Amino acid sequence: MADAPLLDVIGVSRSFRGLKAVSNASLEVARGELVALIGPNGAGKTTLFNLVAGALAPDAGRIVFDGRDIAGQRPDQVCAAGVGRTFQIVRPFADMTVLENVMVGGFRGTARRDLARRRAQGALQSLGMWALRERPASSLTLPDRKRLEVARALATEPRLLLLDEVMAGLRPTETDQMVEAFRRLARETGVTILLIEHVMRAVMALAQRVYVLHHGEIIASGTPQEVTRNPRVLESYLGADAVH
Amino acid sequence: MNAWQDLKAVVTEAPVRSSAALLVLLAVLLALPLVLDRYLLSVMILILFFAYVGQAWNIMMGFCGQLSLGHALYVGLGAYAAAALYQHFGVSPWIGLFVAVGVCVLAASVIGWLAFRFGISGTYFALLTIAFAEFTRIGFDHFDWVGGSGGFFLTVVQQDRMDWVNLRGHPVMFYYLALGLAVLGFVVSAWLLRGRSGFYFRAIRDNEEAARAVGVDTFRYKMLAVQVSAALTALAGVFFAFYYNNLFPEQIFHISRSIEFILAPIIGGIGTLFGPILGAAVLTLLSEGLHEALAAAGYEIPGVKQILYGVALALSIMFLPHGIWPAIARRFGFHRTRAEPDGGADGPPADAKAPRPPAGPSQSQSGVPVVSTSSPRGGARG
Repeated sequence: MADAPLLDVIGVSRSFRGLKAVSNASLEVARGELVALIGPNGAGKTTLFNLVAGALAPDAGRIVFDGRDIAGQRPDQVCAAGVGRTFQIVRPFADMTVLENVMVGGFRGTARRDLARRRAQGALQSLGMWALRERPASSLTLPDRKRLEVARALATEPRLLLLDEVMAGLRPTETDQMVEAFRRLARETGVTILLIEHVMRAVMALAQRVYVLHHGEIIASGTPQEVTRNPRVLESYLGADAVH
Repeated sequence: MNAWQDLKAVVTEAPVRSSAALLVLLAVLLALPLVLDRYLLSVMILILFFAYVGQAWNIMMGFCGQLSLGHALYVGLGAYAAAALYQHFGVSPWIGLFVAVGVCVLAASVIGWLAFRFGISGTYFALLTIAFAEFTRIGFDHFDWVGGSGGFFLTVVQQDRMDWVNLRGHPVMFYYLALGLAVLGFVVSAWLLRGRSGFYFRAIRDNEEAARAVGVDTFRYKMLAVQVSAALTALAGVFFAFYYNNLFPEQIFHISRSIEFILAPIIGGIGTLFGPILGAAVLTLLSEGLHEALAAAGYEIPGVKQILYGVALALSIMFLPHGIWPAIARRFGFHRTRAEPDGGADGPPADAKAPRPPAGPSQSQSGVPVVSTSSPRGGARG
């Protein structure tokens, strides 16, 4: 049981008007693992996330989460199953306070307000945002909005957290703080994390394994060190001419 | 059980200042019939009626972001259902109201299902609500069982006796009924806002996709908002039928009626608890006052009420785009932030305010949620 991966994406494809955004992609994330998904812009990373999170249905392939095929389920059903996600382009509930934003997540599977609030408090504290709780979400800076995305997803108490470029635009010290927060979370709650990230500083510090997506296909996987030495990966980022 | 605790908390956890103000207001309203003459009493009934319908509409648009421009449909259906049962079969309106609510929830479910299943939203959803109200109006024009376009009339009795069972009698009775409705609308709104439904409604209003991602079944909750709003509006219809005793499809289902219903919450403060009440009071007093002043000066200008509504709406959009209430709440400190018991392990105590954000009036520091003009569905004013 413990050997079965928490998330098993098997041969998933998705096209938009004939253009293959994700093509026969497979990846596995084990329980408690921190895995990064990297690749050049337009590689299909966010599309793959949307397929896992239920925002899009795959044309082919299976997505097995905790032994259940969740491919094609609605986002709220995937969330209820235990998958939390953030959006690359932040989507705060602008007219609600920070605490209220996160409480929306805290109500997952319960109508109890006190429980929702406790979950929200825990999520905000773990990201160092508790002092901002009465601020309207619309007044937050971009880095704080990114953290709010994470806190809101965390409050749903997910077993798998999908993080879409939450470090983009952060200063190096802020990146380090967030890396530390995720490490602590993984240690304390056992949450499994799959993250899309361009900030290699964060990828190298956090990820135990890395998948590289290029033109919708997984072209490499391994430890961060292995992947960054892989010629195909360098080629995909820098272009064939630069390598050969 | 849980619902009851939430309901209790609406009362016990409200800021002391607001609770006190609310109690004073309620006491004054309860005592008013002792001092008001018949005319002023009828004005008060009008205010409470519009406050109540505004609150019902506000649940759908202000809380959940679903713009209805056809709420006259529910007032009309509720009115006709209870009136027909009473006039044809002698059924008490207290029984008839259940039928009225049932009919309206059914109609709302059909509209909601069509819209939300097939992805009709925003402006197109608003147009759909207008369409339903309009073809129902035309249908009732030819519905002979309830008088068709010639109107439907309830038997009027001597006004000095009060028949609470059949709601026949003196305006004072209707005043207290209208007050009861307004209190009901307020309590239901406050209770919804506090619980999970309210959080989910507001999340849907602010960003539907993000709401889905944190586990909100958006179809289900949008349906709930529409159904609750319709059910409450049905009661307004029952009240309307028994207060006015005559129903004409051309009046009760007309789009101008739908527009009239939504002015109070928009001017008072969309998405807030007090906005619809305040808006109804301001609008009704202004229009009645103007009418009286003109009459005293010897003028009779038809349509002056509509002009006044237009001017009030324009002024509100220009100077108080979030309505009158949020500005007042900020000024007099009716915050709800204090209501949150501070369970803080870190962070400052609850009354140490976070630094004032640079954002404009869209902040919710007034303690009540406010629809910002920039939010995708805050377009009621646009």
